[in-house]
Amino acid sequence: MPQVRSNVMKMLNDEVPEDRKITTFQGPYKMECTPYQQLDFTEMTYRKCSEEKINWLKLSKMIIIGDVSVGKTSIVNRFCRKIFDSNYKSTIGVDFEVEKFCILDVPFCLQIWDTAGQERFKSIAQSYYRGAQVILLAFDFTNIKSLCNCRTWLNEALGVSSSLCPFIFLVGTKLDLMSKTIRQNMEKNIMKAAQQLNAEYWAISSKTGKNIDKLFCRIASLCFDNSIRNEFQVKKQIIIGTNLLSSNENANQNFVRKCEGFKCSK
Amino acid sequence: MTDGANNVNENELKETTWDGFHNWLYCICVVTFDLELGQALESVFPRHVALSKQQISNICYLAFPDSNSGCMGDTTFIIRLQNSQGNKNLKEEHNSYNSKCPTSLQIDSSYLWGYVYFRQVKDVTLPRGYFQKSVVILSLLPFNNLFSKICSYIAPEYFENGEVSLEALCYNIEQWPPPVPGTTLNLPLLGSVFQTYIPLSNNHTSNSTLALLSEPGDNNQILTHVEDLNLFEILQPVLSHIHLLWELVIVSEPIVVMASSPTYCSSMVLALTRLISPLQYCGDYRPYFTIHDSEFKQFTSKVHGPPPVILGVTNPFFAKTLHHWPHTIRLSDDLGQSQRYKLKKTAPTKMVDNTPGVFTAYKPFLQKDKNIIKKIISGVNSKRPFEAQSALLRRHLLELTQSFMIPLERYIASLMPLQKSISPFKAAPTPQPFNPDNFFATLEAAGPQLTLNNTGIKGDWVGLYRKFFRSPNFKAWFNTRYTELTLKLQALQLEALSTADLKDWVQGRPEVEVVDMVLKIKNKIHKCNEHDIPVNERIKEQLNLRLSDIISSLPDDLKNILQVS
Repeated sequence: MPQVRSNVMKMLNDEVPEDRKITTFQGPYKMECTPYQQLDFTEMTYRKCSEEKINWLKLSKMIIIGDVSVGKTSIVNRFCRKIFDSNYKSTIGVDFEVEKFCILDVPFCLQIWDTAGQERFKSIAQSYYRGAQVILLAFDFTNIKSLCNCRTWLNEALGVSSSLCPFIFLVGTKLDLMSKTIRQNMEKNIMKAAQQLNAEYWAISSKTGKNIDKLFCRIASLCFDNSIRNEFQVKKQIIIGTNLLSSNENANQNFVRKCEGFKCSK
Repeated sequence: MTDGANNVNENELKETTWDGFHNWLYCICVVTFDLELGQALESVFPRHVALSKQQISNICYLAFPDSNSGCMGDTTFIIRLQNSQGNKNLKEEHNSYNSKCPTSLQIDSSYLWGYVYFRQVKDVTLPRGYFQKSVVILSLLPFNNLFSKICSYIAPEYFENGEVSLEALCYNIEQWPPPVPGTTLNLPLLGSVFQTYIPLSNNHTSNSTLALLSEPGDNNQILTHVEDLNLFEILQPVLSHIHLLWELVIVSEPIVVMASSPTYCSSMVLALTRLISPLQYCGDYRPYFTIHDSEFKQFTSKVHGPPPVILGVTNPFFAKTLHHWPHTIRLSDDLGQSQRYKLKKTAPTKMVDNTPGVFTAYKPFLQKDKNIIKKIISGVNSKRPFEAQSALLRRHLLELTQSFMIPLERYIASLMPLQKSISPFKAAPTPQPFNPDNFFATLEAAGPQLTLNNTGIKGDWVGLYRKFFRSPNFKAWFNTRYTELTLKLQALQLEALSTADLKDWVQGRPEVEVVDMVLKIKNKIHKCNEHDIPVNERIKEQLNLRLSDIISSLPDDLKNILQVS
């Protein structure tokens, strides 16, 4: 069985394009503005990866939230499809992408849920936030209000995924529209906001692609290292197909739910 | 950027083709209980899907329990209804799906499947004090497990958050990859990903890659089989009559399953149709059927007698209307482990009597295999897991069906004419006619008793075959095989033609015969492309060469005409 698994892993590995292969840990945008001081994979991660002891496909879920038209979908499109178009239609509900990486020769998948910024979708957003390991708070450099709203967005998301301790990123978009001096003036306030949100700060441009790949490599590096640590530090029992059985049980419970006394509504 | 508007404008919605969505689902319906109208269709997603009046009426009644027995809380069940929409042509994706998936998972364009999630709870804020609503997923695909799970996942979300959640998840489904058998599929939905695998037709290995790729305990990743019936759990109360039921199903006898809840009757009906797998059950069947259904009159008619249909019902009124049906399974409210139903020779007494049991005067042609029943029942006592029990039962039934079918397969293969009867210059021969007596003559040397000799099953095989020959199951099986044979013969004839020396053949022939031959060959090449005659490209090329061989022998004026036409 382990042999079969490692073959599948190898197959997955081969599908990953060169620019999604990560061999060195990506550092933060600004060292002084991140709660995550980690600069390299942990020793255990190096060891486990080289021993080929990783049997499960590593997978992390990330959500992108923020005000209407700050450019959430543009971030995803730039990264996943290498395209940029300033006329995206608004996202209806939630879009979804999976990006495959290969980190230290081990496959890793990042599920990206790109949510709608519109008010009318807020009621359903909760279901999309569930179990997110990364929260990307997007704001628009040219619209300072979108930065102020990040606190509300984060609170809503944390309300759902509170059991986990997600990585939080505060990402300013449309960097290409800012002159350097104005941005430097703004940055003091932004970094303060990031600190209050307990988030790591990044500045990007989906139009030029600046910092986009680095940001996602940073996210992938942190998540990957974290999930390996979780797998091996906590000695949890791993049984193939557990999930399948338990979800079946639930279904059966629903299925066999008894009928008790009908109240006719006529 | 332009996505500043707070309402999604119409044009943007129109941009979506819904092609990806319709690969998987027909639509999602919300059915509510309107105090004035009764069951009423509240909304349909995606919005553009138009349902006929009759479809709406059927869906509305099928989406709710049909009796006074209750169903408080949440109830899930499966329905199957006629697809009355005019367009019965399958999408290209569905045709390619049908050609690769196992027969039991094939799409039948005449029927739609419905996966229902019904909620009935006290709600003092509502006029009658009750909240009663159903979410129904309609699809051509018979993925009972996957879609029931999805319905159980999305319906509570909808009850909580309203229509916007159904709207948003339709856009998720629009992005799903098409349902291709043999691949692991990731289906994102409302913040989770359903991971599933559609088996290939000839692939009986379990979906090991499915369990392999995902980390257990990750609640965003939901692993599920597209189709999964817990045969043992469902059939347990009728286990000792399993061979009788197998006979009833294989000869397509009318059966009615009465239960107190649509959940019970729908799973029993589905399980019955699977008893004869891998043979396809080809009678009509409705896992849950109501007195309001548009086919109620047709099915309950006393003039024409009961049709070859398996019906699941809950309304006690059926005890009266279907009193003349020959076989009834009445399920108890309590599906406990120790329940074992008695066999009764008479139809259940009307209305009053609620004793569970199998009611039939049918005399089985075969004796039952007591050993396998004992073996499975002993598993109940030793607490053998349900999965293992189901596997035992499934394997036994598979052996039984295959033993029954193998002599027929062998016989039909013998109907193929001899190779020497195929001539390049004559039409392809047809298979020899199916003659029951000739078939029965083969039984002694190669009957089912040979493959079943380590079971206790014996009896009047000829009698059972005779009855089977009159059933829709046999007709469908025979038509498939006969078509296969005919196509095979046509292919062999084409092959012979493609290597024949036509230059020699045209010598001294009247012109009219030669032209006739040209037209025939053209017609055949055309048919090859149109139908599924199993010939390869090389033979098609050679046929075209033969065609030019003959045409070149004709006078120039004719050549031109024939080449153009």
